[in-house]
Amino acid sequence: MADDPVIQTFMIECTELLQAMEDALLRLEAAPEDEETINALFRSAHTIKGSSGIVGFENIERFTHKVENVLEQVRSGKIKVDNELIELLLKCRDHIANLIELAEKDTPASASDRTAEEGLLRQLQSYLTSTDKQSNTKINDTAPSQLGSNSPNSLNYPHPSSEPSGSGDGVRTFLHGRDVESGNWHISLRFGEDVLRNGMDPISFINYLTRLGEIVSLTTITDAVPPAAEMDPESCYLGFEIDFKSDFDKQTIEDVFEFVREDCKICILPPRSRIEEYIQLINSLPEAPLKIGEILVRGGALTPHELEEALKIQNAEAVYPSPLEGEGQGEGCSQRKSLIGEIVVDEKMTYPPVVDAAVEKQKKQKEAQAREAKTIRVDTNKLDQLVNLVGELVIANANIIQNAQRLGDIDMIESASTLSRLIEDIRDRAMQARMVPIGESFNRFHRVIRDISREMSKDIELAVSGGETELDKNLTEKINDPLMHLVRNAADHGIEKPDVRISKGKPAKGVIRLNAFNDAGSIVIEISDDGSGLNREKIIEKAVEKGLINSEQTLSDKEIYKLIFAPGFSTAENVTNISGRGVGMDVVRKGISSLRGSIDINSQEGLGTTITLRLPLTLAIIEGLLVKIGGEYFVLTLSSVEECVDLTREDIANSHGRHLANVRGQIVPYIRLREQFMIKGSLPDIEQIVIVRVEGQRVGFVVDHVIGEHQTVLKNLGRIYKDIEGISGATILGDGTVALILDVPRLVQSAEREEVRG
Amino acid sequence: MAKTIMTIDDSASIRQVVGITLKKAGYEVLEACDGKDALNKLTGQKVHLIVCDVNMPNMDGIAFLKTVKQHPAYKFTPIIMLTTESQEAKKQEGKAAGAKAWVVKPFKPEQMLSAVEKLILP
Repeated sequence: MADDPVIQTFMIECTELLQAMEDALLRLEAAPEDEETINALFRSAHTIKGSSGIVGFENIERFTHKVENVLEQVRSGKIKVDNELIELLLKCRDHIANLIELAEKDTPASASDRTAEEGLLRQLQSYLTSTDKQSNTKINDTAPSQLGSNSPNSLNYPHPSSEPSGSGDGVRTFLHGRDVESGNWHISLRFGEDVLRNGMDPISFINYLTRLGEIVSLTTITDAVPPAAEMDPESCYLGFEIDFKSDFDKQTIEDVFEFVREDCKICILPPRSRIEEYIQLINSLPEAPLKIGEILVRGGALTPHELEEALKIQNAEAVYPSPLEGEGQGEGCSQRKSLIGEIVVDEKMTYPPVVDAAVEKQKKQKEAQAREAKTIRVDTNKLDQLVNLVGELVIANANIIQNAQRLGDIDMIESASTLSRLIEDIRDRAMQARMVPIGESFNRFHRVIRDISREMSKDIELAVSGGETELDKNLTEKINDPLMHLVRNAADHGIEKPDVRISKGKPAKGVIRLNAFNDAGSIVIEISDDGSGLNREKIIEKAVEKGLINSEQTLSDKEIYKLIFAPGFSTAENVTNISGRGVGMDVVRKGISSLRGSIDINSQEGLGTTITLRLPLTLAIIEGLLVKIGGEYFVLTLSSVEECVDLTREDIANSHGRHLANVRGQIVPYIRLREQFMIKGSLPDIEQIVIVRVEGQRVGFVVDHVIGEHQTVLKNLGRIYKDIEGISGATILGDGTVALILDVPRLVQSAEREEVRG
Repeated sequence: MAKTIMTIDDSASIRQVVGITLKKAGYEVLEACDGKDALNKLTGQKVHLIVCDVNMPNMDGIAFLKTVKQHPAYKFTPIIMLTTESQEAKKQEGKAAGAKAWVVKPFKPEQMLSAVEKLILP
């Protein structure tokens, strides 16, 4: 029996549904009122019942049906969920699982199983009988005018519309329980003129209809018959209005007319008594994003052909017809277009309550989708490994491209470039998987600020924006410490005490802002405060005292502010336990530059300070500029490179021995990497200079050749070489050569120190 | 009196299946193996419905349809065309020639019967 593919599908389906039932029940324990969970539970039971009936496991169908009845009452709020009920339903779920297992093995239930079942059924029944008295009101609520009230159970027999009613005894009682009018289908037929010429006899279709049910009344419509003189005896001018009693579904009835459908106007309005059934079917549809039309078709209220017709009508109405927008309730449809729901009601395809149910369903589906964000948790290590491998892939691919170019085989080059495009895609996706919003990191500062405010009796508010900006998970971990320093600094040194603020004419409450945004392939984080700002004089005084500058030097604001990053520098008079030991800013700077980031300060005395951090989106892979000096290769971070120009002898000569170059009239200090790294060998005729922006300043790096953009994977140098100044890592080129990655900010700093000393 | 259906198909097995199904349902069945054969056998014979394959030697289904539609005795005779899903182009051609009823091959005997019964009851 289990070999039957249908049964196998059923078994798999049931395993999933039973799991869903269990999950829902456990969720209910925590939130007994949650409507969506109750619906999910009901749907699972409903589907198990339906499928087991279809595959012929009647015992499962019977039992689950009872469970479904109880759940229906829970859903309508007549039975309250309590632990006792959850306990019972869990047992029922286990019993269904047991029944399914028995069915799979094709063994009959044991005596103890049957006793258990009887016990469960009795308990279920006790819930049902206690609510029986009230159940009528609910049914009348949903469809006031059409429903007779003497059949409380009728709701519990949703009748799958795809099969004739042979199995749906409940539906029959349902039909007979009310007046004849509402129990009938109404079919309007207007045959096309050519129907006879096409060999179709209208009467034959009507005859065939009687196979599906009983024609209660038939009216021939002769409005279209022309005067005798104009009449073509080969044309058909007749129409029919038929009241038809049938338990078949809409599709089956529509199929009777399949051969004449194209030329005729056919309208099949279901019996009003079916409204409730359609609504039930619509409600029990799975939670998948569907359009209104699709929901109606799946619920059996509309046939696909009818939907097509309705869409045609909708598109014909549209001022700007667009097939893509043809359907959908308020989904970018122009307002002049009727909604699909209105059309199907106007065209007498179905009833307003059914459309309402579909609209409601769509709303729920959208909500459910928004709630169940489709995510899985993955160990960061796994992602790291993946990104690492992708990195290797990038290197291997560079090798392939190089080889292909060396061999000069066009086909090979083409394949290699296709491959590299794909690898780039994979890389981007892998990177994306590691991206997390920075908001979480930001939010933890609320607590920090709150504590500092208390401790220092200040009134500080933390305003966070751009929390949705994403960056590499690894980076979020690494920027936490620098951020903490900066935020603490702002709270401690930046924001004044309330009385001071008031005396300065500022609101007593100080504000620290954390903001993040993406800019040109980097992420920018701003930490700003509306506090006292940096005090130029104090910084200069301190710097002279520490021997960082001499008192005669004239410095720009930027240069002065940068002094606070020097090791051991602190202007705070009192060392608090929050900040002010003079290690903070130094550490921050080191931290940020180790992340290949830059830091920039803007401050206005009395108004506040803004510190801007600029970081790469990811650490694992860098977009670099590959340059060559002698036989050595180096990589500069591409995002910081502004331009590359030739460095002529003339430009150097004019700079009087100092390391300054004239780039289109602008004086740019430069660093000779050849000297920096003591590379021997002869100079090329024309050197090149790469202009880089570091901390708001343009600096040139003189190299032999600029080779070009190079996407590469960062490899750490290992512990021994960790502290080498000016090198942040290495990478392997396509041919296996090692290229060193330049730590541009550190190089500039050390050059500046030389300059000051020299 | 039982109604007569002519089945035209070059495959004997299909003629057989269709024949048995229709006879069992109470129709008289007349068989032909292609369009030309069918036209010959039709002369003077009263048929109520024709089931006709599309792809056949000598005269194919579409050509047969066009010819038979011009014959005064048969212009109102309903015709069911048999087609395979891949023959969309043929189907369009057939529709243009006035074929309205189609049954897609492979079909189950009940499907064939239900299509026939929608057009004529035995």
